Amino acid sequence: MNDFFTILSPSYLLFPALVGTLIMGLVCPLIGSYLVLRRTIFLGLTLPEIAAAGVSFTFWLQQTGVLPQFASGERSIGMIGSLVFTFLGMGLLGYLEQRGKGLAEGRLAAAYAFAGALTILFMVFNPTGQIEVLNLLKGEVIALSRGELKLLTVVFGLVFLTMLVFRREFLLISFDRDLAFLLKGRQIIWDILLYLLAGLVIALGVIMAGPLLIFGFLVLPALAARPLVSRMSSFLLLASVLGLIMAFLGFYSSVRLDLPLGPTDVALGCGLIFLAYGLSRMTGKARAAFLALALCSFSLSACGAGVTSPPVPDAKAIHAEQLWLAKVKNSTALPLLLPAMNPLRSLAEMAGKTSSDYRQSVMDLLRQSLQTELAQRGFQISLPEDKDARFAAFSADRDNALRVARDGKLSGAIFVSEILRWEGESQKFVRALVDFKLIRIDDGAVLWARRVQRAVSTPSATNLGQASTDAIKEIVNDLFAS
Amino acid sequence: MKTQANSEELLPAGGDAAGVSPLVALEDISLGYDSAPVLIHVNLAIYPGKLVGLAGPNGSGKTTLFRTLLGLLSPLGGTLARNCPLGNFGYVPQSAALDPQFPLSVREIVEMGAYGRVKSFRMFPTAESRRAVQVLEQVGMAHVKAKSFFALSGGQKQRVLIARALMVDPKIMILDEPLSGVDEESRRSITELLVRLTREQGLAVFFSSHDLEMVQRVADKIVRVDKGKVWVEEGNGCS
Repeated sequence: MNDFFTILSPSYLLFPALVGTLIMGLVCPLIGSYLVLRRTIFLGLTLPEIAAAGVSFTFWLQQTGVLPQFASGERSIGMIGSLVFTFLGMGLLGYLEQRGKGLAEGRLAAAYAFAGALTILFMVFNPTGQIEVLNLLKGEVIALSRGELKLLTVVFGLVFLTMLVFRREFLLISFDRDLAFLLKGRQIIWDILLYLLAGLVIALGVIMAGPLLIFGFLVLPALAARPLVSRMSSFLLLASVLGLIMAFLGFYSSVRLDLPLGPTDVALGCGLIFLAYGLSRMTGKARAAFLALALCSFSLSACGAGVTSPPVPDAKAIHAEQLWLAKVKNSTALPLLLPAMNPLRSLAEMAGKTSSDYRQSVMDLLRQSLQTELAQRGFQISLPEDKDARFAAFSADRDNALRVARDGKLSGAIFVSEILRWEGESQKFVRALVDFKLIRIDDGAVLWARRVQRAVSTPSATNLGQASTDAIKEIVNDLFAS
Repeated sequence: MKTQANSEELLPAGGDAAGVSPLVALEDISLGYDSAPVLIHVNLAIYPGKLVGLAGPNGSGKTTLFRTLLGLLSPLGGTLARNCPLGNFGYVPQSAALDPQFPLSVREIVEMGAYGRVKSFRMFPTAESRRAVQVLEQVGMAHVKAKSFFALSGGQKQRVLIARALMVDPKIMILDEPLSGVDEESRRSITELLVRLTREQGLAVFFSSHDLEMVQRVADKIVRVDKGKVWVEEGNGCS
């Protein structure tokens, strides 16, 4: 799969997530630029944390029955909490600022610590909703739906337009309050508007992308743009462009390397800052040459991503019709059991009357799918445990697999699979890292190997079990597609 | 000549000898912060075409007086009358008071002076851009219009801030320590510029400095402040 061009296609299942990330990358730096210039950078750190406390708080209220269950879903509830807490927090910080007691940094640091503590405490009070809250706070922008994308587009679009229309007022009030007063009278309205926009972006962004990514988008592009420009208009433009670059490269790297988006984006943003300070010390020509070189490297890397891996070969092609299909090894430390279909058995399992052994696992389902596909490729499939019941799952490590196969007196070829990561936290996608190998036992030659490392979209799944089943189908199809 | 500040010489209530009304008139005003007066019984009037210097040691209340004139501080008592809107006040702050964190070119700084006239949703008018270049030429700084403001020397910054104040189309200019942190050559050129603005454009110019000798040499009138008291002296500029 050519990830670079695939993610740009509107039909790509994670396309809404890419667009959402780009929108945040474009708009957040505009707000963040003013936070940086006004030296209120810690506000950008504290407000997302306060928003996160709001998310945690509303889930706790819902669990205690104070808030009703909303049909619109968990994100809507989180969004309400996020908005209310963000604006309350801003109001309180503004009030304390007016009173002028103590250090501004001290107030922000205390608010940050308090909000962080509240987030955890509300989660502890609400053990049943802990996973949902954690997922929301991690901000899996990858799970952004088309409906949420519309909301994000409207709100962030309005913020963008407001920043554009009132750019002169925001600059004047931020840079020289005395001149702003002389030219436009009492200008507290512009301060309030700027902080309202910041609150809106943060409250919505935290629920869509998590506090870390929002803080990253707010301040990192602005910090990276600062050493490169000497004009305000160029500064705002470059901060937004760097935000877009950070969003796109982060998304691309996240898809290609199967990394979590938030930390990947933030790490890239920090890299941009170092790069910007390096570039600011270069002369014009050296800077242009460096950028051209970086662009070429990226283009080559993106084109290189287009090299497709070969599918599982036919039996005739490798002259090994007899194939041992080993049990799939689970190295995730999670049971990876699929939900039971029989409610009575589930009740019995919960009551401790029966074990969970009867339930199918991801490993079972993957092996069944592999067996069907390999048989269609002309292989005569044998199962090692049919020969000797002591055979357990094989590791995908060649030497280990060979040792176990040879000890068990197997001959011919063996197909081994090992699940290293299988995270189905949302029914919308499964993060998978699975190794597959086809090994000839006699000479130890690896005839075919593939590592699947990606977030597999499962848009039609209605529960986590269905998501795993759909992801297995997608992965196996990918392995055998010519 | 030393006179108490309520001297009629400086403060004819209805106008000066030529019948010209003052642009700003302070009558028996007390100034300060949080009802703690810094200056009391201040009487002062500023007329068009006059170069008035405000001299006094650091912390004597010069900036407090300016902030009151500009409406940034409310007087604690007395009457403050302005015969032109605040939009016609050209204010030149100390360049050190501006935050160097902002990436602003000289041209952007000067264009700020026109922000009061330009509607929010409009592009910056070409005529205003041309005017910005004109005022930069007037202060001899047109050649640095594309440069970063904070990369300029102290004297250059002051001239650019004067250009910004001129961009407002002022009737009165108030300059807070325009010569502080500036080399001798720049001091000379800035004082020449202030004299020119007063004589040729008929602006009222009110500037502060703790360099009494320079103020005496340049100003038409000198307002002295020290230890809460205000008095007026003649300067050599009127001769």
